[in-house]
Amino acid sequence: MKRFLHIAIWVAISLLGAVALSTIALNRVEPLNATWFVLAAACCFLVAFRFYSAFLAARVFALDNTRATPAERRDDGRDFVPTNKWVLLGHHFAAIAGPGPLVGPTLAAQFGYLPGTLWLIAGAVLGGCVQDFVILFCSMRRDGKSLGQMAREEVSRRGGFLAQLAVLAIMVILLAVVGLVVVNALKDSPWAAFTLAMTVPIALLMGVYLRYWRPGRVLEASLLGIVMIVFVVVAGQWVAAAPSWVRVFTLSGPALAMAIIAYGFAASALPVWLLLAPRDYLSAFIKVGAIFALAGGILLVRPTIQMPALTRFVDGSGPVFAGKIFPFCFITIACGAVSGFHSLISSGTTPKMILHEGHARMIGYGAMLMESFVGVMAMVAACAMAPGVYFAINGPAGIVGASAEAAARTISGWGFALDAQTMHDLARAVGERTLLNRAGGAPSLAVGMAQIFSSTIGGPRLLSIWYHFAIMFEALFILTVLDAGTRVGRFMIQELGGRVWKPFARSGWTPGILFSSGLIVAAWGYFLYQGVVDPLGGINSLWPLFGISNQLLAAVALVVATTILLKMGRTRWIWVTLVPMAWLVSATMTASYQKIFSLDPRIGFLSFASALASQIAAGQIPAANIAATQRLIFNQRLDAAVTAALALMILVLIVEALYQWYSLLSRRMEPALQETPYVATQWAEAD
Amino acid sequence: MRSLFSLLKRILSTAWGWLREWSGDAAYERYQRSRATILRRERELSRTEFYLDQLRRKYSKPSRCC
Repeated sequence: MKRFLHIAIWVAISLLGAVALSTIALNRVEPLNATWFVLAAACCFLVAFRFYSAFLAARVFALDNTRATPAERRDDGRDFVPTNKWVLLGHHFAAIAGPGPLVGPTLAAQFGYLPGTLWLIAGAVLGGCVQDFVILFCSMRRDGKSLGQMAREEVSRRGGFLAQLAVLAIMVILLAVVGLVVVNALKDSPWAAFTLAMTVPIALLMGVYLRYWRPGRVLEASLLGIVMIVFVVVAGQWVAAAPSWVRVFTLSGPALAMAIIAYGFAASALPVWLLLAPRDYLSAFIKVGAIFALAGGILLVRPTIQMPALTRFVDGSGPVFAGKIFPFCFITIACGAVSGFHSLISSGTTPKMILHEGHARMIGYGAMLMESFVGVMAMVAACAMAPGVYFAINGPAGIVGASAEAAARTISGWGFALDAQTMHDLARAVGERTLLNRAGGAPSLAVGMAQIFSSTIGGPRLLSIWYHFAIMFEALFILTVLDAGTRVGRFMIQELGGRVWKPFARSGWTPGILFSSGLIVAAWGYFLYQGVVDPLGGINSLWPLFGISNQLLAAVALVVATTILLKMGRTRWIWVTLVPMAWLVSATMTASYQKIFSLDPRIGFLSFASALASQIAAGQIPAANIAATQRLIFNQRLDAAVTAALALMILVLIVEALYQWYSLLSRRMEPALQETPYVATQWAEAD
Repeated sequence: MRSLFSLLKRILSTAWGWLREWSGDAAYERYQRSRATILRRERELSRTEFYLDQLRRKYSKPSRCC
């Protein structure tokens, strides 16, 4: 009877998921309700977790709860810490959930809701979750070694070095693009700029509290910080209403970029307890709270989806970014479906804290499902607003126009009804001067979130507070990624520099700290600045570059995992990593090729550079703008070179791995697996 | 009614424990417990030293994703 009930429940969940997915995919008659999206994602993820992850755990990885984990064998209370499964799930989720699953789906909504939603669900189930789970498993069986170390030991020495270089390059592009999202969210917005600026003194105060007054009392300090943050979000409206303060906090894009660059340098060079750590605590609490609030809000409000299933921009002419669904939808939505960066977390702290091997399934596979669910909710928030408004917010001035009237004309011409008054009214309702031309996804997501939140609590009166709370939440945790990433980048540069000159690698040597901090900040700051002054909005160039690099890193992780599975004798099951790897390699290599060589100047870096050069040669550029145009030409060529270098690095690694797979399969090479030897656990069986 | 109250108390107490573990509030107590069960040569760190050591370790490798 129990077994029958069990089967009946899973059949019902599967049928419900199938109905919801079919409704999303096939319904073209009536406007869809967001509940279908929640149902489709929840049912698909439940079924995938129950069956596919169980298959991976039992058949492919053969997780063994009798085997002691690194946390048990090497428990030191510092790095190797046995941790409760649910607590570690929270840790891991907080670490992997960044701005990517919120921004990526929002940008990809320009294709309509269908391509992005399907990719979020299928990509996570078959790719992203598998990658996170397999890398966590491999690292756990190797005392928590990093992806780079595993690539060096299991693939080749050169492979390890290339993986390390690729990570550094990806870090630079990632930091630039997230910085650009913040700039576009805060520019010309005194309320938002004031709120975010105030988070710095709040973090400093928390840092001193945690360092001197109550060492390590994170909950007390975070509670204090959250109360102050809520106050400054509300106080921002008074600042925005005071002309003398408006002048101080109304910042242009380039000014904000310089402020963020200076902040990144300070966060990297200052002691970690003073600024970086307290901001991270604040960000973690607000992030988790806002994500749960968004989920609850969507379920309560059940908004109607206004974006069509597919828009005319599937042809590649999109205003937010140029390029067709394949490959650009699959690199724009990176973190919500597959994110190579997760492999760094899965081979970082988490494998050193797992209590029993069996927990890796919930933590590796389950946490990524949760992240993908966040991506689906971001898609709902973006698609619940009128498409005309969405394109007005996310379209760059060079395409949709710089005034509400021009934007309304252009966007209405595309078939999405929009009148200028709607944009004026919306801007006034959220307490902004304008919402036009804010490419990057953050402001449109904030509008979507504010509309959902205000429908639940406060009504239209609180729309402006909710909007600025959402902007603060997005900017706060984007800056946390930025400062933590800058610091890690600094360590990577010090480590690489230490190979040439040993003292450079010393973590406490001040000239080394300042120089390496300056170098990493200059690297991402350069790309950030070029994005800010880009006439096409910057996101058009930088987000695809970030997506390509992130997905290439995922391909690296899956190459390493496939090699390990082959060495483990799991040849029969290597399709679990090989299929997503092949998909990612084809999508990223196609995108790389198109970004470099496409003849469409909005897609190809080189053709855009040539078009600009021709305009200079034809005398179409005013003399005053020639220097700026030449800088733009150089930047386009630089972007092309960076894309080519990344693709080449990964191709070399793949060729090395292919040779090794051939040697292993043809038995020319004995599999030399670098796993730690089996030690029986002394602890009770896993729950 | 009493059993319901004790169940609620147990649930809240477990949730509070998890929150303290997740936030890092309980890290020093866990470190002390770990030292008590396993013999170690090095000197026990004070709460402040442990806090700074934790931060140094956490933020020298990727700890936050995109």
